[in-house]
Amino acid sequence: MIRKEINRISEVGKALISVEGNPGVGLNHVVELLDAQSSQSLSFAKAINIGEDSTRLQVFNGTQGLSTKTKIRMHEIPLTAGFSHNMLGRSFDGVGEVSDEGPQVIFEKQLSTRLDTLNPTVRLVPKQVLWTGIPMIDVFNTLVKSQKIPIFASPTEPYNRLLSQIAQGAQADVIIFAGIGLKFDEYHYFKKQLSQSGNIGKTIMFSHLAGESQIKGLMLPDVALSVAREFADEGKDVLVLLTDMTNWSNILRNVANYQDMIPSLQGYPGSLYSELARRYEVAADIDGAGSVTIIGATTLESLEDPVPDNTGYITEGQFFLENGKLKLARSLSRLKQQVNGNTRNDHRAIMTAMASLLADAEKAHEAAEVGAANDAFSQKLLRYRSDFIDKVEEPFGDSIDLESALDMCWDILRKHFEATETGLSKKLIEQYWNK
Amino acid sequence: MTTLNNKRTGKLISIQDSLVKAHFLGHVIMGETAEIFVDGKLLQAEVLQIFPDPTNSDAGIVEMQVFEDLTGARIGDPVEFHGEPLSVLLGPGLLTSIWDGLQNPLYKLGEQDAYLKPGMHAPALDEEKLWDFTPDVQVGDEVRGGDAIGYVIEGRFDHKILVPFNLGKCRVESIIQKSRVNITGQVAVVIDAHNKTHELKLVFLQPVKSPIPFKERTIPNKAISTGVRVIDLLAPVGYGGTIGNPGPFGAGKTVMQHTLCKHALADIIIMAACGERAGEAVEVFKDFAKLKDPSTGENLMNRMCIFGNTSSMPVAAREASVYIALTVGEYYRYQGYNVILLADSTSRWAQALRERSGRQGDIPGPEAFPMDIPDQIKGMYQRAGVDSGTGGSLSFIGTVSPAGGNFQEPVTQATMDATGGFWGLSQDRADAKKYPAIDPLAYTGSVYDGFISWKDRRKILGTLEEANGIDQTISTIGLKKVPVDKYVLYQKGQTIDFCILQQDAFHEMDACTRPDRLAILNEAVQKLIDTPINFSSNGMEDEELKELIKTRFDELRQWWKDWNSSAGNEEQIATLGKKIEQFISQEEYAL
Repeated sequence: MIRKEINRISEVGKALISVEGNPGVGLNHVVELLDAQSSQSLSFAKAINIGEDSTRLQVFNGTQGLSTKTKIRMHEIPLTAGFSHNMLGRSFDGVGEVSDEGPQVIFEKQLSTRLDTLNPTVRLVPKQVLWTGIPMIDVFNTLVKSQKIPIFASPTEPYNRLLSQIAQGAQADVIIFAGIGLKFDEYHYFKKQLSQSGNIGKTIMFSHLAGESQIKGLMLPDVALSVAREFADEGKDVLVLLTDMTNWSNILRNVANYQDMIPSLQGYPGSLYSELARRYEVAADIDGAGSVTIIGATTLESLEDPVPDNTGYITEGQFFLENGKLKLARSLSRLKQQVNGNTRNDHRAIMTAMASLLADAEKAHEAAEVGAANDAFSQKLLRYRSDFIDKVEEPFGDSIDLESALDMCWDILRKHFEATETGLSKKLIEQYWNK
Repeated sequence: MTTLNNKRTGKLISIQDSLVKAHFLGHVIMGETAEIFVDGKLLQAEVLQIFPDPTNSDAGIVEMQVFEDLTGARIGDPVEFHGEPLSVLLGPGLLTSIWDGLQNPLYKLGEQDAYLKPGMHAPALDEEKLWDFTPDVQVGDEVRGGDAIGYVIEGRFDHKILVPFNLGKCRVESIIQKSRVNITGQVAVVIDAHNKTHELKLVFLQPVKSPIPFKERTIPNKAISTGVRVIDLLAPVGYGGTIGNPGPFGAGKTVMQHTLCKHALADIIIMAACGERAGEAVEVFKDFAKLKDPSTGENLMNRMCIFGNTSSMPVAAREASVYIALTVGEYYRYQGYNVILLADSTSRWAQALRERSGRQGDIPGPEAFPMDIPDQIKGMYQRAGVDSGTGGSLSFIGTVSPAGGNFQEPVTQATMDATGGFWGLSQDRADAKKYPAIDPLAYTGSVYDGFISWKDRRKILGTLEEANGIDQTISTIGLKKVPVDKYVLYQKGQTIDFCILQQDAFHEMDACTRPDRLAILNEAVQKLIDTPINFSSNGMEDEELKELIKTRFDELRQWWKDWNSSAGNEEQIATLGKKIEQFISQEEYAL
């Protein structure tokens, strides 16, 4: 097939180019940019804004080296992602091209990256626990297959370590790693961890390193999630690790800015919520097929920043990492009620009682800082708080199963309180207090 | 309205996300819908703005928002205008339905593909199903828009078949006998004052931005039993009332919506899942379908319909989905039923307007929202209300998702201005897992009469306020400085909080408290507040005494909490009053 070629580039910007007139390209369709003399392929680009007088395109490899003489070849299709079972164990870039030293992958098929919404009627109400061996997750914020949940952390926290720890223990058939704006050592860390845990054979890595073309980073989640979805449609349980979605949102902000879009909050486009939701909503337990679970990382300075704020409204809870601890107060798994009612009969009650006491303890802690926590109960609360942080909020360490974790919780309560001070029902106290 | 026989068409001249511009010939009507032909698919759109061509009165440029993904659209793609504004199909079969934001039934679409793809459509209501139609008028009778010409049975409801609201005075020319008909069959023919004939079916289309009128609008004066204690006691909602329910993420808006779905006493509940998580809507129609309607014992879905325009669906349809849901609510109100519309979330709806106005290049208002967003929000809530002419009501409970949990942002502020009540969810209470996290002392209140007197309501709030003040004192200067009587008051406040305000939405019995039980609780609370309690000090030091007081209250609270989740029969329920009396007199109690 002979593809139409034109050369009417009227503007070369930071990640975008404009073409004079209407080249006849469809919205979101891909074009190829070719060197004017040699016709060598320089990059692909996607049409994002089409008018009679001018058309804007996002350039995948960046605009360095392009000129107004660069030729444009039409491809008449939207961006697709190559799919093959041979992708397992391999590394790819943001548009799905091989990025490791291995041989080329022969793709079995090309997938649409449009991320169409799954018909809600095809979704199952998620009911299968994903145990992690981390008490703060298993007891207090149980993770459920098909959940979408980010780790909120400041950029200096070991969020990638936590992400990788959860991934290693998780029962998934396929792990899709999607890294955007990664530092090289982070990329290397994940690769090493996944290799060491023996999971590399069921892992596909899509990586975009900091400093590489922004548009490739922007595309990466769509390509990775399309591949994840294809495995799920085949019946596999897929775990997707998205790190770090703040980097991704910042690229989105940059590109919106290059397009002169009216910013809403802190320069982000008004569509930030919809754009994030479109990616996270790929998580699903599909009737008659497999599932996609998404654990993301969202770095933040403040919870009120637009990215964590919008993310929190989209995802089914969040894990909050602070000073290397998973904090109970700010963490939440919205799906836990689906599964924690039929574990052990004290599970929910322990969760509520300990959380409520911890909230009181936080108040006592604040009071103590101004020397106002001198009464006996406040002192109890303070000792409880420090024990809780050490034992329950610690995410790194040996894996603990639910039974043992719950027993540990009773031990902590018994050590610091009278039974009636816990707010637990008489029935449970009788069953467990003197166990 | 002008109806045009000749097709009016246009061609695309600009495409950006969901916003397009097209050249047109002839004329275009503001707000009318259109279809765009892209790659062999028909995509639905709505006219937003018209710019006439100054040199040719028969042409111009029209700006439209498109409700579906435009991938593949090109300059020159043809547009066809419909002449009708965005409308919803009203008639039997609405209940138990689950649609997307544009009234495409999701189960029907699911038969075509597991994914929602651009250009996929299906009839809004089942066209095969036969309904037993019973006529109520005869040939020659005079009818007008809104009058019933007969009825069908929809589940447990008499569903009146109405003359479309846009018709004036008409005469019945023909009407079918009592028989079984589907929604595409003709049931009557009427002739209007201009001698024009209109064919009537069981269904008709109603423009979603023109409210269905009230027969006789009155103010809400009867409270809805929601089963949620903090609401029914301190911030009740009346039938026909409006409530804003703001909260940062994780504060429990979703659980609140689900609780209302399950327990609020109403004939019909409409859920507009507007830009929220798909999983939550799915939980409602898959899991709730197995639950029982509290007023009838029937399957809960029989009183519901759901518009699921979830967060990853096209943003332009989000705005439409709320208006469509409102119109369905008004329709059932007109039929004489009590309807509750739950819209989750109105912030996503407002954001859809923001995205659109940003693309249109409008000058942004605060936080880039359109300048007129407060008026649009007010206009939306105003469509709720009581109709004493029909005996029906439409209550509107909208969640608000303020950016950064900051209630000063434009949508929360405009909602406070627009609604009769406010249920403010607090981050602090949610962090302490004190659910429902409605903070009765902040951003919470209601103008509606409830199940207890205003005096009692004020007294509970007063106690909570005072207890909160003492709490602040304790945490700033320490417990030692607080006098014993104040400490008792503080413990009373804590008890009301723990035993009344906090409620376990997942516990079979505790999740829902009906007015009779609420009255018993209120009696106990009022007695606890009113009566001074003499803890005999026996010469104890104040600090020792405070410890004793705390222990006693801890015991009471544990007992009371057990009562909440276990006292079922009359005898068990009566123990609360006795317990409180014994507690007040501080006799040894062995209940």
